[in-house]
Amino acid sequence: MDTSQDIGVPGGAELLAFSDALIGPDAAALDTARSALAAALGPHSVSGAASIAANFSKNDRIANGCGIPVDPMQLKASVDLREQLGLNDFRSAINTFRHYTE
Amino acid sequence: MAMFSNSEYPVRDDLAEIQEAQITALGAPGTWGTGAQRLAIAAEARQAGYDAGVLEAPEDGGHAPEIKLPDVARKVVRRLATDPKDVDQASYKEALAGGLSDAEYVEIVGVVARIVDFDVFARGMGVALAPLPNPEPGEPSRERPPEAVQELAWVPTIPNPPEGGAIADELYEGGPKPYIVRGMSLVPDELRKHVALEHIQYLPMNKIGIADYKHHEGLTRSQAEIVAARVSALNECFF
Repeated sequence: MDTSQDIGVPGGAELLAFSDALIGPDAAALDTARSALAAALGPHSVSGAASIAANFSKNDRIANGCGIPVDPMQLKASVDLREQLGLNDFRSAINTFRHYTE
Repeated sequence: MAMFSNSEYPVRDDLAEIQEAQITALGAPGTWGTGAQRLAIAAEARQAGYDAGVLEAPEDGGHAPEIKLPDVARKVVRRLATDPKDVDQASYKEALAGGLSDAEYVEIVGVVARIVDFDVFARGMGVALAPLPNPEPGEPSRERPPEAVQELAWVPTIPNPPEGGAIADELYEGGPKPYIVRGMSLVPDELRKHVALEHIQYLPMNKIGIADYKHHEGLTRSQAEIVAARVSALNECFF
């Protein structure tokens, strides 16, 4: 993933770095990212970001583990985004495309 | 000592309370697994995280499981814990062919998904993983909802109301829900725990459509969605 682009949201770079480090293996990088996030967005942002990362770590396993499809309305609304981010190439995309076409 | 009381960063009371309650409840009998079996699943998921280098083992990991998971369950747990992007329909069929029932499989998915959730949160906060509780005696309820049918997921699900009946009204809070909510409905108790976490950790489901709704102090909705999208992309979750 390209991490060099400015995503135009305050603290965006710190949130991305925290997310990457939290899912990755480098504990020292995670400590650095956590401190940088707190410095950029305040101490409460750490539990908020950790909470959302935890929640979606759960949801991703439920979605991929149960083989659920994306609902048609959401599929229709995400055509451009999926194309830009390469989401259609994920292995789990087949759980949707075996039922629905673009 | 309350969970996260030693954290350098503040944690909302409801967040700490639900994590503590759900970790403790892992030791209770579930729908298809005993308390000892559910703790063995959680411990195997953690071990997979240690082996992959994405979790740090705590000094006090709590209860050490005394039972050995069957190989088929162990394989499901480890793949889901550290490589969710590699879970496919063939691996689901392999699990069923290996002797797991569809409902046992769903309960395993629920337990793994939640222990990963609790551990990612602790790691994010920079605190040690919570000790696993001791197992509680008792038998699983083995209650399979008769309303569950084969829809579009690999696993049977309870349809949205009105087809799903009274249990759908209760589980789906009165209205139709997408598969990310309904996916676990073959094991209603796991679904209830999943949804309870959703309300507190992400945002209440009735607020999802409010673009500027702020659920976490220190984060706008846009900032929250950056984390959600990034984590899901890293896990290669199409949903």
